[in-house]
Order: sequence, then C-alpha cells, then structure tokens
Amino acid sequence: MIQIALQKKLSAATGEMLLDINMQIEQGKLVTLYGSSGAGKTSILRMIAGLLQADTGTITVHQKTWLNTSTGICLKPQQRKIGFVFQDYALFPNMTVKENLLFALEKNQDKQIVKELIEIIELEDLQNRKPNNLSGGQKQRVALARALVRKPEILMLDEPLSALDKKMRIKLQDYILKVHKKFNITTLLISHDISEVIKMSDTVFMIENGKIIQQGNPIEVFTTKKVSGKFQFTGEVIDIKKEDVIYIVTVLIGTNFVKIIAEENEIQTITIGDPVLVASKAFNPLLQKIN
Amino acid sequence: MNTLKGKIASIKTNQSLSLVTIQIEELFFNTIVIETPDTATYLKIGEPITILFKETEVIIGKGSEHHISIQNKVMGTIIKIEKGELLCKLIINTKIGKIIAILTLDASNHLQLEVNEKIIVMIKTTEIMLSQ
Repeated sequence: MIQIALQKKLSAATGEMLLDINMQIEQGKLVTLYGSSGAGKTSILRMIAGLLQADTGTITVHQKTWLNTSTGICLKPQQRKIGFVFQDYALFPNMTVKENLLFALEKNQDKQIVKELIEIIELEDLQNRKPNNLSGGQKQRVALARALVRKPEILMLDEPLSALDKKMRIKLQDYILKVHKKFNITTLLISHDISEVIKMSDTVFMIENGKIIQQGNPIEVFTTKKVSGKFQFTGEVIDIKKEDVIYIVTVLIGTNFVKIIAEENEIQTITIGDPVLVASKAFNPLLQKIN
Repeated sequence: MNTLKGKIASIKTNQSLSLVTIQIEELFFNTIVIETPDTATYLKIGEPITILFKETEVIIGKGSEHHISIQNKVMGTIIKIEKGELLCKLIINTKIGKIIAILTLDASNHLQLEVNEKIIVMIKTTEIMLSQ
C-alpha cells in the first residue's frame, strides 16, 4: 500500500492554489491522474519523486516513510525507488540505445535487467542505434525501458504518449501495460485521454484545482449514467455519415473499427473525436468458435 | 435511442438473471438483464429508472389482436413519417411519450402506414436496457 498525503501552496495561472490531496494506492495497480492543465497533476508526481518540496505531508511506500514533514524525514530523489518517463525523451544523444540503458544501472547492479528489458520492450533491432535515428515512439520505448532499469517501486509516466500519433500511442500503451504486469510495479500515469485512462487504469483520480474531486473505476467515473447492457466498450468516434434516414457512426475501439447505426437524437451531442460508450445487450451478439 | 422514464415495479431473479418490470404511467414494460439486486444497486422496487431501446428494434403492428410473443406494447399515433431509399423513420406519439421506430421502407409500404394512423408499438424483452 502506498499512502500519500500532500499539501502545498502553488502559484497557478489563476493565482495561488492550495494543492491538498490524500491518496491510497494498492501495490501493483495502475493509477491515472486525470484533469486539465494546471490542476496540479505534475506537481503531485514531482513531490512523490522528491523533485518538489511539499509544505506539509507524508508519503509511505510499503511501510517505508519517504516523507514526513512533521518528523523531518525526507528521502532524496535518488533514495526513492522511482522510474520517470516524461513527454520528452531526455535520452543521451551520444550513446546508443543499449548504452543509454546500461548508464542507468546502479553501481554493482546486475546487467541482466538490461538484456531482459531489451527483450520485453522489443528493442533488439534498435539497441545499437543512437536516439537521433529513432522515431518518437521508438525513443519513448527506450525511455520506458530506461525508467525500469533500477527496478523502481513506482513507475511514473507524465503524459508520455501525448506527442505520439494514435497508432503509436496504442502500441506504447500495450508496452506500458506489459511491463506494468510483468514487473508487478505500481504505476502512476498522467493522461488527458479518456479512452487511454479507461484502457490502462485500475483507478482514476480526477484532479481539479489541486483537489481530488472524484476517484474510482474509470468507467464509473467517466460515464455519468450506468447502463445495464453487458456488451460495453469505450472508443473514439472516427466518422459520422448520414445515410438514408439514419446515421452510420464509425468508432475505434482499441485497434478495431466498429460501425453503429444511430438516430439523429443520439448523434446531436457527438462529434468526431469524442470518446463514446458503445453498449448493447448481452442477448444480441453471436458467438462463433474460430478454428 | 428511445428513452422512457419509469419506476421498478417488480423483480424476479434466478441465478444471475433478473426479469424486471418497469411501470411507466399505467403501463408495464418487462426487460431481462444479467444483473441481480446484489450486483446492481439500482435494482430496487420503487427505484426511478430509465429504459433504453434502439429505434431499429421497435416493431410496429396494425389492428388490435397480435398473437405474438411480445409483451411490451403501447398504442400510439404516427405523427411523422420520414422516408429514405431503403429505410423509413416513424415518430409515434404514445401516452408514455414519443417513440421513434426505424423500419424498412418495404415494411412500411406493406403496412400502408400513414400519418395520424393508430398503431401498436412493440419491443422485445431482450432489447430493453436499463439506465439510472
């Protein structure tokens, strides 16, 4: 269990803001911080990492105190077992992919982890290349691998995918989920993308003005109404076409496209790019075995 | 999506399925869901609930006697017909609210449906979803 209680006065664009949060995170869960820019999400991650000082607060990670302002305990960033991936890759340009990973090793740490990460994140073909010769998605995979070299207790991802196109984003999401599960690591993700939050996280904390305004299972947090249909997915609207007296709406669910017949009153509030809930009764779908 | 508001009148549960009767004005609609009062907090007698069903799942009948397996029925009057090439949209006034039906143009022509005509709107028990 990770317990985090932090208070800090921050100067935001709209004036002074008091960040005051209290979170409990189960070990091995993937947790998302969701909210508009300036809500305090990055400040929370930076305080957990020890890169920003809290005014008051406590951080306990598996019964070990990282921060307790009332007793004066405050571990240095390098004493906190944390892996960090930012939107920009921050790789060393003069080193190859493999050298970048080796450089992240702790003194006397077994090099086996680098080999293992290269395998899991499928960097075999890229390991001898320098960052300049890599695409954005490839660089972010290297940054992800590098963040895991020291086997952190918490992996923190600050909008790591926002600079990537949709296809690359989905691929990276899958890599993140893979390492998250493989290493049973507690992961904190900042994301603006509702479909990403729903796909990735066990729990979402919705942050507004430095406070947690809602928390829980992402589908329950994002859908105001619960629908009884058991055949439910969330996706993104790719296309809306009026045909005959109806509309044909194309929705991207994961990497699959589905088409849904909609009526005018359903699409009135929906535009291309919107996240949507697709629901049907469990009584309708056919099930066929694939040979 | 057709949306009607009512309240739960009765719940019959067997294992993970529940047959829920919803009262809308003086009419009763049935739906079957894979939920039970243990798994869904909204499954409570007297609870206000919304029923949802697709326009394309609405069945239209003419005349009064229909010996068919559909229990969810309401009388209505067609107030608008919008004809496409293959499909046809009907807007129907009923005492529980407006219901939209989308059926093939052939079916509509076959029934010779016209504005102001009285018809029966029907919906299968397995096609109704519940929402809070």
